[in-house]
Amino acid sequence: MKVGAGLAGLLVMAGLVALLQWAIGAGIVDEYTVPRPTEIAAALPRLVAEEQVVSRFLVTAGETFAAAGLSTLVGTALGAALYRWPLLRRSFEPGFAVLAAAPLILAYPLFLVLFGRSSATVVVIAFASALPPVVLQAVAGFAAVRPVLLAAGRSLGLGRAAEFRHVLLPAALPSVFTGLRLALMFGLINVVGVEFLINLGGLGALINELSERYDLPGTWAAIGLVVLVSACFFVVLDGGERWLRRRG
Amino acid sequence: MAAAAGLSVAHGRRPGPAGPVGTAGPRLLAAVVLLGGWQALASSGLLFRDVVPPLQALAAGLWAVARDGGFWADARVTGGELLGAVLVGGVAGGATGLLLGSSPLLSAAFERWITWFGPTPKIILFPVLILLCGVGPGSKVAMGAVSCFFPMVLSTAAAVRGVDPVLLRVARSFRARRHQTLMKVYLPATVAPLLNGVRLGFGLALIGVLLAETKLSNQGVGFAVMQAYARFDMPRMYGLLILVVGFAAAVNIVLGHGARRAAGATGQEH
Amino acid sequence: MHRLLLAVLLLAPFAARADDVLKLAIGQRGNWENSVSELGQEAGFFRRHGLTLELLYTEGSGQTQQAVISGSVDLGIGAGTYGVLGAFGKGAPVRVIGNSMVGARDLYWYVPAASPLRSIKEAGGRSVAYSTTGSSTDLVVRAFQRSFGLQLKPVAAGSPASTFTQTMSGQIDVGWASPPFGMEAVQAGRTRIVGRGSDVPEFADQSVRVMIANAGALARKADAIGRYMEAYRETVAWLYADPAALDAYARWAGVSTALARQVRDEFYPRANMDPDRIRGLEALSQDAVGLKFLAAPLRPEQLAALVRNARAER
Repeated sequence: MKVGAGLAGLLVMAGLVALLQWAIGAGIVDEYTVPRPTEIAAALPRLVAEEQVVSRFLVTAGETFAAAGLSTLVGTALGAALYRWPLLRRSFEPGFAVLAAAPLILAYPLFLVLFGRSSATVVVIAFASALPPVVLQAVAGFAAVRPVLLAAGRSLGLGRAAEFRHVLLPAALPSVFTGLRLALMFGLINVVGVEFLINLGGLGALINELSERYDLPGTWAAIGLVVLVSACFFVVLDGGERWLRRRG
Repeated sequence: MAAAAGLSVAHGRRPGPAGPVGTAGPRLLAAVVLLGGWQALASSGLLFRDVVPPLQALAAGLWAVARDGGFWADARVTGGELLGAVLVGGVAGGATGLLLGSSPLLSAAFERWITWFGPTPKIILFPVLILLCGVGPGSKVAMGAVSCFFPMVLSTAAAVRGVDPVLLRVARSFRARRHQTLMKVYLPATVAPLLNGVRLGFGLALIGVLLAETKLSNQGVGFAVMQAYARFDMPRMYGLLILVVGFAAAVNIVLGHGARRAAGATGQEH
Repeated sequence: MHRLLLAVLLLAPFAARADDVLKLAIGQRGNWENSVSELGQEAGFFRRHGLTLELLYTEGSGQTQQAVISGSVDLGIGAGTYGVLGAFGKGAPVRVIGNSMVGARDLYWYVPAASPLRSIKEAGGRSVAYSTTGSSTDLVVRAFQRSFGLQLKPVAAGSPASTFTQTMSGQIDVGWASPPFGMEAVQAGRTRIVGRGSDVPEFADQSVRVMIANAGALARKADAIGRYMEAYRETVAWLYADPAALDAYARWAGVSTALARQVRDEFYPRANMDPDRIRGLEALSQDAVGLKFLAAPLRPEQLAALVRNARAER
């Protein structure tokens, strides 16, 4: 049934695309602001041939992977620390909530100076932006573990470390995966955003260049590729989560 | 139950009453380390001083901005746009999330598309939004709303899925109709995680509104930031950013209190 | 009789002609080139022609152009010519109504004071900044390489502020800027000018940036746009004749009057800002192909359809 639903969703999306195609042709949507989906699709081969799309795709994916991976690792560790020491949690959890709303990306000149005109700047900004939501998520996940599980662990004589490995982490795993999803989302948005802003590297820089050149089909095709990066990551993530749960 | 945590911060065991004396110590220490580190970095001469200015310069810039009447006019404009963005994006996202979370069928059909489109930088859509909503505040509200919509949907859907199945069975045994279940079971049970979803969506809405103001505008804090940077008035730019973060902090604290109160009221703390 | 009098009294305020409103998108606020509309409005030139301008500022030429093409604004100032040619070539509803800037005399390249470079001719093998692909800065850097036989490393560094950040922190060897940006640093000796756009003769007679209008707006508001151009010409004349204009600009841009005068006289000769002096579109159209803005150069009849300026000499 799930497959059927998934297919239905795909058909609805395809239907919306067809509707857009018709609306542009009918003049309802301005063709000089939103190009026809057929033109966008036609632009893809041109991008691959002329704009080193494959290597740009890999650069963006790589930067996202680095930022999301780092922020998940560091964020989960920080979350565990905040959970473990309630004084730290009381002191700093609100701070992380504030940072989650801070427009760090606007301070990109600072990061440029600190880390240079390179992928490092992109990754650092994305990492810093993705970290607070991951920390908040991890703390919430650990705190939501059912007390009965912890009590059971303690009655079996588990020490702190063992308790973390065998009770807390597995029980909080869904939360950790949600955190990883958040890290990917914030990470990719910021990676592409920074690439776009400072015109460096992967797909974000390509989007900037194509829009400056007024190549609308190309611009939207490049955006489509960003969606593809996103889809790839999430498909892998979902698969990984399912596999881990089966091992469970 | 752990899945219900979703993006909730209020769920779970609260680590005792939050004593202000207790938290002051670590916070002070963290502040000293961070500010001290910055000052050392700025004074070392290793980095371009204009972009890594010493604390005195930052303070001066902050003071100059706060005293500037023009800033408060800009802040009112941006604040209004932000409010609109959070309302529109929050309500639309919440409603969509409610639908997706309460229907496994709809979720299987559409949630993955929201997840995949979520991470695309929405600023690309800005020309379309200008077309739809004009060059004024409308397009900025739209930009913020679109940015806020996606995380709201996902966090609401996760929260809804985490609602205690017992409550749902009770509603079914009372033969509650769909909209009654939505209003009387789902809504109260998800208020706390919803509010926390709003906290997250709020941050993205803020970034969306500010970025939109840097693209095409003649007022607002984003516009002011762009002007300051264009003139390379870095103390002013940092002053503006610090005030923005301060504002975000204030809103966050309010929303956090609201979330904790809602969680307490609906008995979700344990 | 009384009722007639009452009606006349009530309607009298509405009998006065309301100003026409024009919406403009302008890039880089603070630049001398882009100051005409706002300073002219402040000084009353546009009001005298029955116009009220709603001015919106963008981050760059691409934004300006997109806003005009979508009809969200009526006019755009300082749009890069390549972009406009490319868009028109694709059928976009955009027309050129005037020249924004002829030549590249307003651009300069600089190094931090500590750098060993004295001239752009010594910059072989170094990184040299330009803003974005197809911009006038991009073209001048390419021209530097051709004219002086150099192999440079061009870097798309973005806006003057972004470029300044990267140049002064040593990430790029030679930065670019457009006055008044960076002039205070030059005067203070923190930076040194090593090259000027006027060093390469290629663009001296080409309109590198133009004033554009949405085709639909041009049809609907032809009279108002004509009056805008009149007021624009008057404002430009005022900017170069009246000392009060320099004061107004200095206040607006946040610089001293003395610096404003130096910027105007050294970097912005009046002839380059003449809105009716639309030059070199054929040559630019050829170059646009090489930079992937156009698939093929525009034909003469296309260029004729593109330009809507009765006084333009081509």
